[in-house]
Amino acid sequence: MPVGPFGIDPLIWAPLRLVIAVGLALFLVLNGALLQIYLERKIQAIIQDRLGPYHVGPFGLLQTFADALKLISKEDVRAAATDGWFFVAAPALVFCPMLASWVVLPFAQDIVGANLNVGLLYLTTLGSMTVLGIVIAGWASNNKYALVGGLRSAGQLISYEIPQILALVSVTLVVGSLSMIDITRSQAGPFVNVLVLPFSFVIYFIAALAETNRTPFDLPEAESELVAGWLTEYSGMRWGTMLALSEYGNVTVVCAIITTLWFGGWQGPGVDAIPLLGVLWFTLKVYGFIVVMMWIRATLPRLRIDQLMSFCWKGLIPMALVNIVVVAVLALAFPTTKIPIAIASWLLLAVFVAGIPVVQRRRLRALRARARAATAPAARAAS
Amino acid sequence: MTYDFVEPVVFALLSIGLIAGGVAVVMLSRITAAALLMAFTFLSMAGMFVLLGAETIALFQVLIYVGAITVLILYGVMFTKFSDRPRALFFQRQTPFAAVFVAAVAIPVAIIALSFTSPTPRPGGGDLIPLATSVFTDFAFPFEIASVLLLAAMIGAIVLTKRDEPEEAAARRRR
Repeated sequence: MPVGPFGIDPLIWAPLRLVIAVGLALFLVLNGALLQIYLERKIQAIIQDRLGPYHVGPFGLLQTFADALKLISKEDVRAAATDGWFFVAAPALVFCPMLASWVVLPFAQDIVGANLNVGLLYLTTLGSMTVLGIVIAGWASNNKYALVGGLRSAGQLISYEIPQILALVSVTLVVGSLSMIDITRSQAGPFVNVLVLPFSFVIYFIAALAETNRTPFDLPEAESELVAGWLTEYSGMRWGTMLALSEYGNVTVVCAIITTLWFGGWQGPGVDAIPLLGVLWFTLKVYGFIVVMMWIRATLPRLRIDQLMSFCWKGLIPMALVNIVVVAVLALAFPTTKIPIAIASWLLLAVFVAGIPVVQRRRLRALRARARAATAPAARAAS
Repeated sequence: MTYDFVEPVVFALLSIGLIAGGVAVVMLSRITAAALLMAFTFLSMAGMFVLLGAETIALFQVLIYVGAITVLILYGVMFTKFSDRPRALFFQRQTPFAAVFVAAVAIPVAIIALSFTSPTPRPGGGDLIPLATSVFTDFAFPFEIASVLLLAAMIGAIVLTKRDEPEEAAARRRR
């Protein structure tokens, strides 16, 4: 009779392991969302010179718990004209891919759900499945705001998926593997990937902000313009699952990808001696990026939808393609050293950062000229 | 006691999901439900690929068919009014033709499937590096042909749907 880990029959162990993994991921997602909502409020309050939550518990720490209890105990409202099963299925369709992507996140050396050899592809795939849930939610709500919001949101997610994936490709070209563990292992020591590939990191970070609906790309749930877009008809825990849990879960997943691919994952001082220290380093790095995202939210205004789309299709995607070509050619030409790739990537980043204002100013001038030309005959006719 | 029975059970579940989903896609008259069930069918198919050890193919299946194509179909559904005309007026008169076509496809497939003896399994057949190598060496020509075809379709779609600039349209009206 075969014996698995801990002396448990493998036939029992395999499903048991699944249950434990899902339970652990759920626990982390729920608590992560609570913690991140609290962090978000506090950080925005500090930046905007307010106090933030401080009534419930010490430093307002229990405020989000109270809010979660309120959400759970809310009446389950469903408008009569909504589309039955689809309306119920949409939150699950948004939530499940996010939960499933926690399987391949490497928290530490051996603390990973499954070491897939195509882990990165798996994460991209699950990220692309969220769109389906959002479109279904918009459709099932039977509400024009929700429908328009859902379609806009799907358009944004599909568009920004492209630069996101293209940025990942350059990392795979340098590392030569899609496994999250191998990518982390390849960055032993202080020379993490961000020093080699800063440009693809910047592209990925911008695209990830759009993918997770964070400001300045939070049009899908723009409360002030689209009455929260595709979430219009949702309330209570359905809303909580879709917005709070899925959004903050996705933010965590994206930050974990950034940490693993560009910042050395769990690696840090003292990890070789105490492997469990990796969890601490990983969490610290991930939360560092989450705080940066919150900082951006408190700083930048929201983009308009046409600016969002033109920035993606005319800015990010061409630059990501150039980045891939450059990295691939240099990786083939200099298989032993990463220094030429690093130089090229830093140069590309400088060109990108310097080029945006120039291009933007020229575009604005052209737009203004066109607007003037369009209004001139009308003004002449009126006078 | 061995655990060889797990794989056939998973296979059976996936096949039931695949066939039932496919049948439901064809039979249902609610088109959004059909689209969602199609996504389910694609997911079951991906499960089949995983069972065959081809994780990469499975992931691309989900990435392209669930993440992109189903969403596109839903987009198409949402921008079309499906209540204007009586449904299925055209297709329901085609039963004899349909039977002939189904027989023409199904009988060879059944014959091949029943006479099929599986080749010796090659471990790592779905692995990424051999897959990429074969795509870019042995199958480079078909790959490029497919790319050119897709590019042509994309440009065609843009040309067909592109609206004139508002000023140009106004200028043409004035003429």
